[in-house]
Amino acid sequence: MTLVAVGLTLILLAGLAASREALFRILLGAGCLTGAVPALAVLAGETVRDVRVAAATPFGPWVFGLDALSAVFLLAILSVGAACAFYGLTYLAHERGRRPVGAAHLLLAVLVASLALAVVARAAVPFLIAWEGMAIAAYLLVVLEHERREVRRAGMIYVVATHVGTLLLFALFAIWGGTGGTGDLSFDALGAHAPFSAGRGGMILAVALIAFGLKAGAVPFHFWLPEAHAAAPAHVSALMSGVVIKMGIYGLLRTIVLFGAPPPWWGWVVLALGAASGVLGVVWALAQHDIKRLLAFHSVENIGIILLGIGAGALGLAYGHPVIAVLGFAGAVLHTLNHALFKSLLFLAAGSVIHATGTREIDHLGGLARRMPATTATFLIGSAAIVGLPPLNGFVSEWVVYQALLRGVSAGDAMQFAGLAVVVLAFIGALALACFVKVVGVLYLGTPRRTLATDARESAAGMIRPLVGLAVACVVIGLVPIAVVPPGLRVGSLVAGLPAATAGLPAAAAAGPATMFTIALALSLFVAWGLYVALGRRGQPAESATWGCGYPSPTPRMAYTASSFAAPLLGVFRSFAGVRTHRTAQAFATHAVDPVLDEVLVPAWRGARTAAAWLRHAQRGGGGLSRYLLWVGAAVVASLLYLLAVGRNP
Amino acid sequence: MRDAAQIVLLLVVLSDLAVLGTSRLSSCIRGIAAQGLLLGLLPVLIAPQLSVHAVSLALGTVIVKAVALPWFLAWAIREAAVRREIEPIVGFIASQLLGALAVALAFAIASRLPLPAVQHPLLVPVSLATLIIGFIVLTTRRKALVQVVGYLILENGIYLFGLTQTESVPFLLELGVLLDIFVGVFIMGIVVFHINREFDSLDSTRLTELTD
Amino acid sequence: MTAEGLIAVGLLGIAAPAVPGIAVKTKSLLTGRRGPPMLQLYADLAKLVRKGRVYSRTTTLIFRAGPVVALASLIVAALFLPLDGREAPARFAGDIVAFAGLLALGRFALVLAGLDTGSSFEGLGASREVTIASFAEPTMFLCFIALVLAAGDLSLSGMLGTPLAAAWPHAGASLSLVGVSLFVLLLAENSRVPVDDPATHLELTMIHEVIVLDHGGPDLALILYGSALKLTLFGVLVVSVLVPRAGLSGPAALALLFAGLGVVAVAVGVVESVMARVRLVRVPQLLVGAAALALVATILQLR
Repeated sequence: MTLVAVGLTLILLAGLAASREALFRILLGAGCLTGAVPALAVLAGETVRDVRVAAATPFGPWVFGLDALSAVFLLAILSVGAACAFYGLTYLAHERGRRPVGAAHLLLAVLVASLALAVVARAAVPFLIAWEGMAIAAYLLVVLEHERREVRRAGMIYVVATHVGTLLLFALFAIWGGTGGTGDLSFDALGAHAPFSAGRGGMILAVALIAFGLKAGAVPFHFWLPEAHAAAPAHVSALMSGVVIKMGIYGLLRTIVLFGAPPPWWGWVVLALGAASGVLGVVWALAQHDIKRLLAFHSVENIGIILLGIGAGALGLAYGHPVIAVLGFAGAVLHTLNHALFKSLLFLAAGSVIHATGTREIDHLGGLARRMPATTATFLIGSAAIVGLPPLNGFVSEWVVYQALLRGVSAGDAMQFAGLAVVVLAFIGALALACFVKVVGVLYLGTPRRTLATDARESAAGMIRPLVGLAVACVVIGLVPIAVVPPGLRVGSLVAGLPAATAGLPAAAAAGPATMFTIALALSLFVAWGLYVALGRRGQPAESATWGCGYPSPTPRMAYTASSFAAPLLGVFRSFAGVRTHRTAQAFATHAVDPVLDEVLVPAWRGARTAAAWLRHAQRGGGGLSRYLLWVGAAVVASLLYLLAVGRNP
Repeated sequence: MRDAAQIVLLLVVLSDLAVLGTSRLSSCIRGIAAQGLLLGLLPVLIAPQLSVHAVSLALGTVIVKAVALPWFLAWAIREAAVRREIEPIVGFIASQLLGALAVALAFAIASRLPLPAVQHPLLVPVSLATLIIGFIVLTTRRKALVQVVGYLILENGIYLFGLTQTESVPFLLELGVLLDIFVGVFIMGIVVFHINREFDSLDSTRLTELTD
Repeated sequence: MTAEGLIAVGLLGIAAPAVPGIAVKTKSLLTGRRGPPMLQLYADLAKLVRKGRVYSRTTTLIFRAGPVVALASLIVAALFLPLDGREAPARFAGDIVAFAGLLALGRFALVLAGLDTGSSFEGLGASREVTIASFAEPTMFLCFIALVLAAGDLSLSGMLGTPLAAAWPHAGASLSLVGVSLFVLLLAENSRVPVDDPATHLELTMIHEVIVLDHGGPDLALILYGSALKLTLFGVLVVSVLVPRAGLSGPAALALLFAGLGVVAVAVGVVESVMARVRLVRVPQLLVGAAALALVATILQLR
């Protein structure tokens, strides 16, 4: 634990030294490494004792600890945090004069530190302090470009949503700690309250689901996510999409650890939320043509996949299938780690593209592969990973979640219907493939559609190195599942509250052959490419223009656009896809909206504002205090009349 | 005999789904004709022993459901000169998913209904599924002729359910059911013909203009 | 990973180009023509390998790598199928996910290679291909669920091998429906009628053909061979579900498999002769219909 504390201190110091780049890099790198060492040790099987610190705040002492669940999240936080921070140094370097860049780096360090603090906190008070620190640092980073109206709007939506979540967390701890206890809100004390009565337990689980669902960005609580992640600078979006939303997942898993086996209805609700988030997230992503909003909706989709894993695990616990429970939670945790890696990779690469071309519109770009080869290569690896193609890391975590659901199919009781979620998962995967083929094809391949793309140049080395590091991590985890699946199963058993050795055995046994498969696949791809190159050495290939079916003068504007690419698929979903058309006599435009935000919440908010304005008018009237005093007088008279009617006998 | 009956009942479900999925009216009619043929085979297959009653019921069903009614509907299509159904109210994909869901629901409900033992375990679920799918076709399609087909599928579901009672039921019940269908279709046919002649269209959504 | 298993895969690889040939021959005979010889694809492949290569100036490494990655992933996928009806060269729990992932990898590579040319025709074909694939993959998994329920095993060797043969007596109706659903999936994934017409010459009506429009020479040979191999793999799936061969000896099971593949090819040819291509907007509906069949098969086993 001391190593973690040292690491966090170094990170904060790095933030304070943000103006000197080299010092920042050294301190931050050292901080993340020292924090990662105990995490790796815990995942390898060691245990770490809790640290109790008596504090002046009420509700018990401050407790800090590091178990397998915290360790996995800590690893994700530190690795992604380091990559994003290093990227951010180069990304914001040219804005030094105009913006408070030093403050931005400090806030990033604070964000990483509070994220790490939140996962090692073992009592309610430090957890909430870290949570709030996270929210404020993230908000301030989101509104870095605050001169733009949409950035301010996005920041406002984000801060409202995250504080609603925090309030619900307060309520959660209040209900949990309860009235009859000692007022000690450390996690051990909370865990001792279990088992709960059906009513109280149900309320705890419902509030936890909404609060952590708001943070994670599950449909329908995702409305803040696309706005905030699109408005923030690239490295902040990467950190937020990669790690901050995972804190919601951490909260859900920690709730399960402390609550015990949840009732079946909660597992079904989580499964349904996961299915809805997954499918709707990717359909809405297909409709987007702004690269960052698109990636943000894909985060919603992957949170859906993680929730499918958690739902499967919770149902396994509820119906008494230990193997399914462990596999479900293990799959969710592994996908959390993997998604942190490839989503941050994708956001950082998108940031490089935006930095080089100055636009977020996919349909204005194209042909960037020749001008930005390193960015293209890393983006391609990230895309293949997020689609779940072997031999990369997305395949490994999706394989574990599939195993949990498929075992549910053959389970023989109500769990069989959970197994049908396999179909939903397959649908999500295929739609994700469609979307990323569109993104890679339109952004990097083909010919540039406008001059913004022809003038693009490869980004600086400081922005490429984090991309390469994250891509290498994706490849390594994908090639060697046997290194990550057993620790994942250990975390899964921890969440399920079952002994580590027995429950996950079938999947642990399958990890060996799976590793052989991924390595064999990678080798065969290499060998095939080598053979192809070797056999093709004779003769020089000729060059020509692309076949245009005899059309004499093709132009870059004839290239297929992203909206046309997605149109057949979106047409199947009709109004669910969130594509609205604006048609006048001379013009036709399609517009991608977020149905939850733009068609439910914003009209509801406007209705509430109108009602409040009416109420204010009714309260104050035209001028002066007269109508207000009238209301006060009427209230006094009404209370007197009430006393007259009722109150002879007080 | 049980296996043959199982295959026939499964084919009935498939014919339901086929009618749900097609947009061509002639395919709808072929589906309902096939269904009539399968329904005609059933009394012979599930009766414990072959009796005059079962065979005559089978023959009568085949003549009415597989020959007469489809011929009549085909005549109506030729008269009204329609060939294709337009996009139903929920969409073709959604209606097929609804149909699959209806089959799932029927199987789930059937296992929970407190019924006495029936001749074949698939009889009640398939009848419920046919009922629900007939109802779906009846309510979500726009062309009046397809709605008639939906009504016929609904009646087929009721017929299937009635088969569970044919142990010792008098002939009259079967005749009653068949006559019911015949009268219903006859009336609908006349109405359809007259609607088409009067308004030059068989789109039932336009029938609401009658109320004003 | 036995020697017999690898030899079986090798034989399958050698026989693969004959399967589309049988389909085309059947279609020609049924439409009153003599048609090309059944082994025409072998001659075409030999001719293409000897040709020179022309690459468009717009393309990058992805264009050259596409066919290689697609073929390599298909060959690895073939290792998971139990060709002798009992055991596959490679197996692990949940390898259906690997099988589907390998097919997706091949599709990803080919579609990206097509988009690399920057032509609108490839974009059109790519858009249609991923739309169809989005509905084909859940249908495939639904068929797999039905097989998992019948066989009780989580790997393809179990789902298509001995446990499936043991399940046929009591789950026969369900497995027949799965076979039909897999056949429709075969037609969709391999771009046969009624989803796509492999014989069309108009770029605007193509799906798979137009994605590979710019490939020529040895690359086209790799792609054509890959398509034939994919058709063969799906044929193996259909035959394994409908004709369990667990009780036969190795060579007999293999011979029965090849006979079954021939029957599947003839069936594909028959379908191509009697049906027309459905409108593009109806293709998702067709696949949802196949999924509904598989769902009915699953429901039959769940009660």
